[in-house]
Amino acid sequence: MFVNVVTIGTITLALLIVSLFLLVFVNIESAVENWSERVQVTVYFDKELAPQELNELHGKVSALPGVYRVSYVSRAQALKRFKSRLKGQETLLEGIKPEILPVSFEIALKRSHRDMVSVENFVAQLKRVPGITEVQYGEEWVRRFNSFLNYMRILGALLGGFLVITVIFIVSNTIKLTIYSRRDELEVMSLVGATRFFIKAPFLLEGFIQGLAGSLLSIVLLFGLYELFLHNSGNFLSFNPVTSGLAFLPPEYIFGLLLAGSGLGFIGSLTSLKRFITV
Amino acid sequence: MIQLHNVSLTYQQDASALNNINLKIGKGEFVFLTGPSGAGKTSLLRLLYGALTPKSGQVLIDGQNITRMSPSHIPLLRRTIGVVFQDFKLLHNRTVFENVAISLEVLGWGRADVGKKTMHMLKQMGIESKYNLITERLSGGEQQRVALARALVNDPKILLADEPTGNLDDANKNQILAIFKEANVRGTTVVVATHDRRLIEQGHKRLVTLHKGEIVEQMEKETTGNAQTF
Repeated sequence: MFVNVVTIGTITLALLIVSLFLLVFVNIESAVENWSERVQVTVYFDKELAPQELNELHGKVSALPGVYRVSYVSRAQALKRFKSRLKGQETLLEGIKPEILPVSFEIALKRSHRDMVSVENFVAQLKRVPGITEVQYGEEWVRRFNSFLNYMRILGALLGGFLVITVIFIVSNTIKLTIYSRRDELEVMSLVGATRFFIKAPFLLEGFIQGLAGSLLSIVLLFGLYELFLHNSGNFLSFNPVTSGLAFLPPEYIFGLLLAGSGLGFIGSLTSLKRFITV
Repeated sequence: MIQLHNVSLTYQQDASALNNINLKIGKGEFVFLTGPSGAGKTSLLRLLYGALTPKSGQVLIDGQNITRMSPSHIPLLRRTIGVVFQDFKLLHNRTVFENVAISLEVLGWGRADVGKKTMHMLKQMGIESKYNLITERLSGGEQQRVALARALVNDPKILLADEPTGNLDDANKNQILAIFKEANVRGTTVVVATHDRRLIEQGHKRLVTLHKGEIVEQMEKETTGNAQTF
């Protein structure tokens, strides 16, 4: 009984570390995804477009692969934006007419097309559309954003990989100790003529249940910690975590953790049994 | 029932545990294996229930050559052999009943039948009143009887016992010997490894003496007490 409690406790804590890492990683990634919406390509025109010409160009640009949304910014809208950016110093714009500003298409790209290479390809295609001459896309920002994204992913994979290896090591050794403590039972069963399956089955089932219980407990604990953080960390953080969109693990991650826990329990038992059942 | 042909066994490359053993034990025989410590008695018994594989030679149990047996057949062989170990090998956190019942459970017997047969066996051993006790709480003699009950409960063809009277007083020794003889009368082939001279004297059975891994003497001891050397 005591050994079982220790095993489930170890699996729970080990998986809690992994799930905590996953929770942080998932939230950072979703924040980064939101930043990537700033990857935007702008096409400038030096004259106001006629409605028919506008529709035609809008259609051509929208049909390009990777386009998520195309918005037309008229001269009047451009001036309005300019004014709002210079809030408090609107006097600087006195006497300026909308005509000095260009009209433009602001093109938002799909998530899968926001990396450096895709953006450059898209711009090249865009430039081939007749009537489009000037294209800007904040090259430096896209480049920096992409290298940050890659750095994040490598760091995540390294840390995650290290954590997973540690957890596998801890859990498999704990299970090995559980089975070691009952090696007499294995020996006696083998000596009275039990088949391998007869000896193994209860231990495999036990390992599976321990893994499942451990992963379930770790998710419950993680949810408790998440709720605790959500409602109590506002005092010492500069943002309100409730409204910041801090999310819990998505269902497929929870399912994955349950599967990993029970699988780890089962496989851990299987490999340990191999060591202790000689015949 | 048991045949060993030119059997040799080594534990490590240099140390020979058994050397060119030839032995035949017929169905229903009662044999004492004797010899000093380290003579190879336990090794010989372990060969018979498939816990060891000889380096050379053949071991036949009830017509089956166990040196050529696949690992999946070893459990089936062991179901026909009851073994009483020197250190009993009881499960100390389990009850007397559970320790004996395990021999029937592995055969796939139903719960009711296991209960009936186990209690019957415990009664024969005179320990039925202790069925619900944890084996740790039993005396040495009682533990020995639990081990015997576990070995005999499935009516094995062969009973192997390794130093079964090691730490027992005379009264207990006599009882254990009586149980062996009873099993033998019912048709079980019995092989007992011991260096207890008194047990051998009282047993009046065939005696095989081992020394440094070799059989040095075989004697058929008649009930009249006349010794005959082979």
